[in-house]
Amino acid sequence: MTRVLVPLTVLEGESVSPGLVRLLEPVDVTVLGYHVLPEQTPPDQARLQYGERATDALADLATAFEDGGREADYRLAFTHDRDQTIDRIAAETESRAYVITGAAGSIDRLFVALTGDVAVDRILEFVAELVGDREIDVTLFLATDAEADGRLALEEAVETLSRRGIDAESTLVVSEGPFDAVSGAPFDTLGEAAAEHDAIVVGEHAPSLQSFLLGEEPERIAAESVGPVLVVRPPARDTSSASDSS
Amino acid sequence: MDRDAPAVGEGTNIDDEAPRIEPTIETEAATKTDDAELERTLGLVGGLAIGIGTMIGAGIFVFPGLAAGHAGPAAAGSFAIGAVIALFVALPASELATAMPKSGGGYYFISRGLGTFAGTVVGLSLWLGLVFATAFYLVGFGYYAVDTLAELGIAVGNGLVIPLALLFGAGFTVLNVTGTENAAKLQNGIVALLLSILVCFLGFGGLDALGLVGEPATPERFAPFGAFPVLTTSALVFTSYLGFAQIATVAGEMRDPGRNLPLSMVGSVLIVGALYVVTIFVATSAFGSERLAELGETAMVEVGRHYLGSIGALAIVFGGLLATISSANASILSTSRAVYAVSRDALLPRRASRINLRYGTPHVALGLAGGPILVLVATGQVELLAEVASFLHLVMYGLICVALVSLRRDEPEWYDPDFRTPGYPVVPAVGAVASFGLIGFMQPASQVIGVAVMAVTAGWYFYYARDVTLRGAL
Repeated sequence: MTRVLVPLTVLEGESVSPGLVRLLEPVDVTVLGYHVLPEQTPPDQARLQYGERATDALADLATAFEDGGREADYRLAFTHDRDQTIDRIAAETESRAYVITGAAGSIDRLFVALTGDVAVDRILEFVAELVGDREIDVTLFLATDAEADGRLALEEAVETLSRRGIDAESTLVVSEGPFDAVSGAPFDTLGEAAAEHDAIVVGEHAPSLQSFLLGEEPERIAAESVGPVLVVRPPARDTSSASDSS
Repeated sequence: MDRDAPAVGEGTNIDDEAPRIEPTIETEAATKTDDAELERTLGLVGGLAIGIGTMIGAGIFVFPGLAAGHAGPAAAGSFAIGAVIALFVALPASELATAMPKSGGGYYFISRGLGTFAGTVVGLSLWLGLVFATAFYLVGFGYYAVDTLAELGIAVGNGLVIPLALLFGAGFTVLNVTGTENAAKLQNGIVALLLSILVCFLGFGGLDALGLVGEPATPERFAPFGAFPVLTTSALVFTSYLGFAQIATVAGEMRDPGRNLPLSMVGSVLIVGALYVVTIFVATSAFGSERLAELGETAMVEVGRHYLGSIGALAIVFGGLLATISSANASILSTSRAVYAVSRDALLPRRASRINLRYGTPHVALGLAGGPILVLVATGQVELLAEVASFLHLVMYGLICVALVSLRRDEPEWYDPDFRTPGYPVVPAVGAVASFGLIGFMQPASQVIGVAVMAVTAGWYFYYARDVTLRGAL
């Protein structure tokens, strides 16, 4: 079954909203409690002092997810590097996506961004599983400089979802001139469109200059839209070469 | 947390605290205990930066004048001897670190290999040894800060050396308590910048010293004072090699420790040792050793001026500031980790490793580093501080080698290092003999203070932690 990772800064009191718990009902959940430490603090030192407190909080959260009748477990990690921890545990648990929690009441409208170099098939499959036969409106969004290709891609995406019994609207934004990831124009339109929805699904793509300068795209979307953002992970890569990067 | 402790590693101290030892699984990317995972975030470059960043300050920027005064041009040989001894210890330390990739470094290996008493003495001596080393780096920093002001046209005289050192020592402590965002990245940048300054400077100075460019150098007898001062100078400058073991204290945070720990320990000793030897060679070629000795702690600035004019002097002053800052800051951090490692094993009160909820930093341990450091800085005794720091570290290094032999002879089931010391048992035996032997070449005053510090730590063991047992525990 599809698994979703829910990372939380558990010791800082981050929690999950009831809307998100309901949205994730069709999938298994791993709650990841993490605590980021400054470099001068050994992770083990923090574990000794706070491990028990964090574990109690995580057990309660996992129970909240289990009430929906699916499987939920939790992990606790102390780290200097949040992204590395989320990546590692998402890979270990074979999670299809991870969540930036945000705030949400009832989630009735889902915004799905297909812009950029992302694995569209994986995103659509995930959306289909997540929505299932529930009454959730789906908006597919694509920003591109190649209008014809974009229109075709969106039509295919709508078709894919409707075969799984999901009606989806689509929004195409054609940016003027060459598609320029750095200028931020497509991103701004995405942010505006997304803000009208209750939750957002995006695809994770490889780190770029832009993400280095401005922060990870999903983080920025989450900051703008307030609601939860579900980040669909790319297919598992060969991780043996990624042993030493810093 | 009140579960029964494992059968190995029991006993309580005077406060009724028991060592916290829990079963863990070490993987390449994380350490897993039964309730939490500890992410490993440091790579090979990070490990090298810790080693080089801690080591590079003292040797290159503070010692050339002092060492040349003691041993003449043969001071280069003193540094080489120090590097060889450091290598003989770095290999066994690497093996132990890959078998026990946990926070604590040398203290951890010795307490597991040789028992609680040796562990307590080494753990507490390591803390105090780092305090002495940090004080030495800060005084060196003070000299460079005064010289920086002089280069900028503000002559304040050496009277301000100690006040400036105290000010910055207090500053680093506060900075570390309130959290230093991206300190590791900054440290890596400083190390890279330092290395490039030195390589440019040494490249040019080296060519000149060999007589390939510029004026031919005045020949000077290589060892004007004979062989004995070369060894005593080795003992003095060994403080320059106190960084490699600090890498073992972050073993718990290093990715793929089986590969990265030995590489960064041995690699940083080789890189820094080569730089030291060339630096002394260049410095003694620029001036006679008598003149270097007169110039004292900041002789390198004049060497820079000799080869590259005021740009050279500025580059060295700037480099000296960066290097002493980087050494001092890295050592304050290591000190607080040493305190933590000992208090986790209930050899110090557990309060010592409390973390401050607001900043997430170990404020008590940092205070236990910063306070004594300032007291020692106030003494301003450069050579004495350096030698006592070396003394306390050399005891630990010797015992690391003994611990390796002890563990190998009676190999416990858990002992499964990814890296095995080549040339066993000769290498650890030579490492132990050389480490203990070097202590014999120090000034009597340093030896007396070193022995006194160890006697106090032994007294603490009998007063506080006699009933704690750690042997064979993991």
